[in-house]
Amino acid sequence: MVKMSKVIYIDENKDTYKFDLEEDTIIYHYSINKSYDVEVNLNKEDITLNYYYNNINYDDNTYKIRINHNKSNTNSFVYNHGVNVSDNKLHYWVDGVIPKKSENCDCNQDNQIINIKNGKSKIWPNLLVDNYDVNANHSAYIGKFKESLLFYLMSRGISRKDSYKLLLEGFLLNTDSVDREKIKDFVDEINKI
Amino acid sequence: MLKITNLSTRVVDSDINILDKFNLEIGDGEIHAIMGPNGTGKSTLAKTIMGNYQYEVVKGKINFDNNDLLKLSVDERAKLGIFLSMQDPTVIDGVSNSEFIRTAINSINGEKTNLYQFIKDMESNMKDLKLDSKMTHRSLNKDFSGGEKKKNEILQLKMIKPKFIILDELDSGLDVDSLKIVSKNINNYLKDNPKTSVLIITHYPRILEYIKPDFVHVLVDGNIKKTGDIKLAHDIEKNGYEIVDGKDE
Repeated sequence: MVKMSKVIYIDENKDTYKFDLEEDTIIYHYSINKSYDVEVNLNKEDITLNYYYNNINYDDNTYKIRINHNKSNTNSFVYNHGVNVSDNKLHYWVDGVIPKKSENCDCNQDNQIINIKNGKSKIWPNLLVDNYDVNANHSAYIGKFKESLLFYLMSRGISRKDSYKLLLEGFLLNTDSVDREKIKDFVDEINKI
Repeated sequence: MLKITNLSTRVVDSDINILDKFNLEIGDGEIHAIMGPNGTGKSTLAKTIMGNYQYEVVKGKINFDNNDLLKLSVDERAKLGIFLSMQDPTVIDGVSNSEFIRTAINSINGEKTNLYQFIKDMESNMKDLKLDSKMTHRSLNKDFSGGEKKKNEILQLKMIKPKFIILDELDSGLDVDSLKIVSKNINNYLKDNPKTSVLIITHYPRILEYIKPDFVHVLVDGNIKKTGDIKLAHDIEKNGYEIVDGKDE
């Protein structure tokens, strides 16, 4: 039987968020030019978090997220995708925390920032693990879209400008499962980049 | 259709020519195969025709339907009707297969394709290629098997409808059954579009049993050393590339 996940769209205009989860949860977090401090507590065994953070950045901003695996057999998959449009600072602090008491956890984070110009972007991907029986992965990429991606799209007749737009949209929406109507402002903002 | 004259190319920032004074002419409706050992410039040729950023042309000309290809961008070359089926198709996360193909068709035709017709064509072509219809909405080539990636290249070909097709090691990563399926699809396309020309790049003659070439060329050290028909491919399979080393025709 397929387990249904609780779905949360972050659409309030707050700076800090705290989630205490006791069931499988998908969180969609789409933001435009804002700093955040997010804490997610996985408080029940056998639950899974999928967190999609996507942001379009123009000024100096910092995004902090901390996933606490407070129980054994908890899983987290955090995808942070940002586009730094201007030459300002965009910083990601991403902590995955597994204390000694939590066994057999799966903690994953994928962090990517695309600089459109010469943005000063930094990522701190931290895995703070105090238990040996875990699976923990992180990745971090800062840079431009790879030429190989543009070549592939252009080789099918798509102009460089339209290829770039396709890549931006794919990168920033970041998942097929999101309801675009609920992030309409964000989708409109992509077209302004 | 395609005329390559005295072409020398190298990897950007390198000083070693991979193709060296290379010549090739492909007429309308002709099927040419280029065989050769590793590192002789086969894929370099394919990528240079398409305008890949990794290679620079030192000298020579590529003419396609009276257009100087070297003056055109990658997308402009594709719009002329050139299609490169890639050896290792690129994974693009977040861009769905259908969105990509529809954008490509719109770009090439210069107008928005009818959505109903597009869906109908996609379904029909995917069925012919024995591709799962769910792949329409998946990210481009993401988590596709080797065979699915190659079939997806041919799906794009059938949807975009080019007039010059480059198959860069289509047979790598394909099992026998899948090779038969993609070959059948390509042959049907060629039957419906008899003026379409094909350049097959391969290590092995296996694919040439399914897509019959008019000419087989052997590329060694950046240049064609021998040209023949399918018998040459069989000779190579039996005796290796040593039979043509240094033997200019």
